[in-house]
Amino acid sequence: MSSQEEGELSSPEITAIGISFGNSNSSIAYTSGEGKAEVIANEEGDRQIPSVLSYIEGEEYHGTQAKSQLVRNSKNTVAYFRDFLGRDFDSIDPTPCHASAHPQKHESTVAFSIQDQESDAQNIVTVSEITTRHIRRLASSASDFLGKKVNAAVITVPTNVTEEQRVALSEAAKKAGVEVLQMILEPTAAVLAYDARPEAKIKDKIIVVADLGGTRSDIAIVASRGGIYSILSTSHDYETAAGVQLDQVLIDHFAKEFIKKNKTDPRKNERSMAKLKLEAEATKKALSLGGNASCSVESLANGIDFSSTINRTRYELLAGKVFGAFTRLIEEAVRKADLDILDVDEVILSGGTSHTPKISQNLQRLFPPTTRILSPSTLPTAIDPSSLSARGAAIQASLVQEFEKDDIEQSTHPMVTVTPHLRNAIGVMVVSEDVKKGLFSALVEKETAVPCRRTGVFAVPRDGGDVIVKICEGLREIKVSKKEKAKINGKPASDDSELDSDDEEDEEAEEIREKVWKVGTVLAEAGVKGVKKGGKVEVRIKVEADLGVQVEVREAGGKGGVRGTLEKARVVENGSA
Amino acid sequence: PVLPQGWSAEKDFKSIGQLSPATQRNIEPVGPHFLAHERRKRHQRTFSEDDRI
Repeated sequence: MSSQEEGELSSPEITAIGISFGNSNSSIAYTSGEGKAEVIANEEGDRQIPSVLSYIEGEEYHGTQAKSQLVRNSKNTVAYFRDFLGRDFDSIDPTPCHASAHPQKHESTVAFSIQDQESDAQNIVTVSEITTRHIRRLASSASDFLGKKVNAAVITVPTNVTEEQRVALSEAAKKAGVEVLQMILEPTAAVLAYDARPEAKIKDKIIVVADLGGTRSDIAIVASRGGIYSILSTSHDYETAAGVQLDQVLIDHFAKEFIKKNKTDPRKNERSMAKLKLEAEATKKALSLGGNASCSVESLANGIDFSSTINRTRYELLAGKVFGAFTRLIEEAVRKADLDILDVDEVILSGGTSHTPKISQNLQRLFPPTTRILSPSTLPTAIDPSSLSARGAAIQASLVQEFEKDDIEQSTHPMVTVTPHLRNAIGVMVVSEDVKKGLFSALVEKETAVPCRRTGVFAVPRDGGDVIVKICEGLREIKVSKKEKAKINGKPASDDSELDSDDEEDEEAEEIREKVWKVGTVLAEAGVKGVKKGGKVEVRIKVEADLGVQVEVREAGGKGGVRGTLEKARVVENGSA
Repeated sequence: PVLPQGWSAEKDFKSIGQLSPATQRNIEPVGPHFLAHERRKRHQRTFSEDDRI
């Protein structure tokens, strides 16, 4: 958008893509000429490319081909390595690698001992080298598709990535011939993927991004204000709520069925387990699309074939506990951001596990009806959750690919990105039915980064005349009331300052929780004289970077108006998510 | 609300309070709106100056 003015064009042959690099799957995307992000399929036709590498007699297999080697050639197959990059051996959790090449300590880093050459020798290959090979394969698939050599990328990383991991990833990519222009966080990439669609309207909203993956789930609460994103809180889960836990439910179910018929447990044998695991995952995916799915494995154990079917209802019953864990994880993340579920405007479901219909349904029940749940089973126009990160990265890549690397580094430096955010909403007291009382109406939401400006038009008393406009801070409160007493039309019995509500929710029939505004500090008053009958007042608030506030009030459509400035507020440290 | 009787202020504007202290947070360096924000910050331009360009 700002490319022409921002940077002198660097070497013109930069071709940048977006890469989403996950423990389980990776994907690649580019931005087409019309500015639309498209996911690239590799030679095998996969858009979700398993992050797996496998070696047979010196030949390298990648993606789905490598994944199927987990059965016959597990010792020379490397999987689930992303989270090991840039870490020392003592701090990693090797559990996911149980069924493939095991990670081991190697100097200050993690490595795998595999036969990756034609000879029988075991080679020590560091996780960084594995990452390089993986990225090289991803870039080459993209190059083949685009017909141009891909030499740069924006890569997505989890929110809890360390500086060491960033450096390690950048170096590993560089060795693969890919310059990392920028690393962006997975949740913001997902938000960007939605906001960059032509039909999207940029609005101030609180978004929960639930990235439900294979071996981990990450939740981030994002405040989107004028298209600028701030992360308010993050949560991570590696044990109770991710794709592998759902696979395990199916593995156990089918294993029990097999035991009943054949008296042997396929989970006890490594190869049988590997086969069952691959097939259970396929069955799980089928259950996200259809009401019924089959699971069949040739020669599962003791040379006996296994074949069975399961319907979705049964699966949802078996996996109920795991589904509950997803909901709880999201609920906790909202609480951690000091928010209520009523504050959430949108939930973006991202990551492969988000295809599961039951998870979205549970969230629909958790959140009020006004909250939009963006997932394939709840919204027909939702973007494929598996591709969100890659799309976001591709869009960012197209925005920054013409900048100099130094420019990008400087502008993403904390000096630029650490910014004061408003603690409370700023709004206007406007008229209610009762002329004496006002209703608070928010104009600038809390957690808006400054500088910012917002303009709103507000009704005044019907008769017009001279009116007073009060600019105040507003505090959101959750009001709990009994059903019979609840009046949505903003006149709660108790307190005059508690007025109006945006939404209501009847979670449990007898109790209604709603959002109400409590008026905080009055910031300023402005008198507007001689407003026409039925006229409206336009209020414009500008908060400067130094927290000075400028207010302009005029009759809508009129000239002149009242202007004023407020004293600057202080900034307090802390609060960064 | 209706202007109360006898309310007056210089140029009809009365400044009363000030904002609560703001919180320092990190904004995500992503998306076109961030780039616009960053450009303003770097060139120390205001919104209206930026609009004119």
